[in-house]
Amino acid sequence: MESRAIVSYQTPSGQRVEVVKQTFSSVRKRPAKRVAFVSGLHGNELEGIYLCHLLIRYLKNLQRTQPKAFQGEVHIYPAVNPQAISAGSRLWPFFSQDINRQFGGDNGNSLPAQSASELLDDLKSSVDIAVDFHASNLHLKEAPQIRILDGLHKNLLPLAIQCNVDLIWVHPASPMFESTLGYNLNQARVKTLVIETGVGLRLHRKFADQLFQGMLNLLHHTGVLVDTGSLPKIDPPVIAHPSQVALLQSRYAGLFVGHSDLKKNVAKGEVIGEVLSATDGEVLQEVTAPESGFLFTVREHPLVYPGAPLARIALRDEGCP
Amino acid sequence: MKETILSIPSPLGPPTDLLKFSWEGTPIKETVSIVGGIQGNHLNGIYLCSRLIRFLDAVEAEIEPDYILKGRIQVIPAVNLPAFQEGNRLWSFDDLDMDLAFPGNDQGEVAEQIAAAVYQHTKDSQFGIILNNADNHYEDAPHLVCMNPDSLTKDFARSLGPPNAREPENSPALRLCLYNQWTENRLPSVILSAGKPNHLDRALCETLFAGLVNSLLWTGVLVNKRKKTKKYPVRFNNRNNEKFVFAGAGGFFLLLVQPGSEIKKGQKIGEIVDMYSGTVIDSPLAQSDGYLVTLRDYPVVYQKEVLAVLLKKQKFSFWPF
Repeated sequence: MESRAIVSYQTPSGQRVEVVKQTFSSVRKRPAKRVAFVSGLHGNELEGIYLCHLLIRYLKNLQRTQPKAFQGEVHIYPAVNPQAISAGSRLWPFFSQDINRQFGGDNGNSLPAQSASELLDDLKSSVDIAVDFHASNLHLKEAPQIRILDGLHKNLLPLAIQCNVDLIWVHPASPMFESTLGYNLNQARVKTLVIETGVGLRLHRKFADQLFQGMLNLLHHTGVLVDTGSLPKIDPPVIAHPSQVALLQSRYAGLFVGHSDLKKNVAKGEVIGEVLSATDGEVLQEVTAPESGFLFTVREHPLVYPGAPLARIALRDEGCP
Repeated sequence: MKETILSIPSPLGPPTDLLKFSWEGTPIKETVSIVGGIQGNHLNGIYLCSRLIRFLDAVEAEIEPDYILKGRIQVIPAVNLPAFQEGNRLWSFDDLDMDLAFPGNDQGEVAEQIAAAVYQHTKDSQFGIILNNADNHYEDAPHLVCMNPDSLTKDFARSLGPPNAREPENSPALRLCLYNQWTENRLPSVILSAGKPNHLDRALCETLFAGLVNSLLWTGVLVNKRKKTKKYPVRFNNRNNEKFVFAGAGGFFLLLVQPGSEIKKGQKIGEIVDMYSGTVIDSPLAQSDGYLVTLRDYPVVYQKEVLAVLLKKQKFSFWPF
């Protein structure tokens, strides 16, 4: 494994902050494929950092014991926003900027914008396929899933189904995504999968183990790794297109108390939770499934305002299990 | 007229109210919208709105006898009220940049509902002004921002007073701003940026207030029986005309210049000293002559950060009117 700093700058106290890339080279002169794993764009999303740890540990051992297994190249960027990760905050703390809104176009010369540009350039020049790991924010808990913008699904679905996620959500395009890493890599013809799993500031080992198997399977499927023994066992995902996802929102301000677990098939009318008045003991809203389907998002943060998302269900009646 | 155009209940405590103030004369030909406080710590803009509200109330009450309302003026002083009341740029509940939420969604989360209400109430105006400060850690000399201005927008800009306008290039992030939504709706509009966040500069606001009143006279929504509208010279600067000075090291930045001053090529704009020893470790120099439009205000700097933005002097082939 080779380590290289792709972004480096000095802090006010003179210490150096570096964004490090770990590379596992191919035994071939022309690697079969070059795959990157990126995590930590948001510093409070820790699932991806743990996944990178699992991948690095596995690949280091494999390189020592079976160097010829590496027919392709693997690049791992475990912590691309080091200061936000140190602070456990979504935003780059000193600047209060979301680095995943700094990609593409002319976003000025702030340090986050410069770092975003350097990361994007490095990825564009060194990989064919990328996986960008995200957890949810502090408000929602997500089942392991891949989100694909409508229009890119023909290109990305064949890769996404190899990743052992519960769900692939093809969702509508929006200008909001145009400043993200995933969008800009896909525009640059680097096939990029954006994974969402878990919740901010927490680790969910079962989800991470599930995705770890998926990432190994992806590396085998793309020919990056060969002959490592038995292939990881993966399950087929639910595939939901834009019209097949129901978003349940709060109609009131209050406290949301969930009654249902993630990764579960729910029946029409099943109670998912309640919105309660914080002051007078009333139940303001009983939150029920509008249709049968797969519950893949549930609210974690109990405080809600009207319009707050409470749950998402991939509806069963249009091709979902 | 004071109007609550959106009220979002809170789980506990008072609701989040979005207020709009408006005045109408007859016949109504044009509507001018003025919006402040998109970021909670842009205090000059919020204060300027209060000055304007007091003045226009006096005009309406005929306490300012020289002025007559001939159109509609509407002011939304504090878009991001939750952040303003926290004393922050962003509202800590969601850490979302309000100016990346436009055009908003009236069925969405709090920031999206606010953005939708602001946009819906202003999009059909004939002219628009957004009042901003510099970004966190910086101070702006009063200047205007306008993207691809047509001749009408340029004339509008010339009514406001600041001698410089910057023309940013479009970017994915900019497309989510209120300003961009206005320009896409063909609403002649400008951003007026002056001062620094978390500060209220009353003397500066009085100067800007005079320019705002002049711009209302220029649009015809306000008439003064004795005074003619002024037309100020404005230099329009595209992105190529902006020259940046970067920090060569991290430490304390001790500035030697002031925003709004003319800088000579090679002039030292400050010194960066080691935070422990006080040793000078960098002496950033201006790379060209120019008008200092943005200067670092907060003295703690990282290496590679922008310390100053200069608007390079242009050689006019004709008078800038």
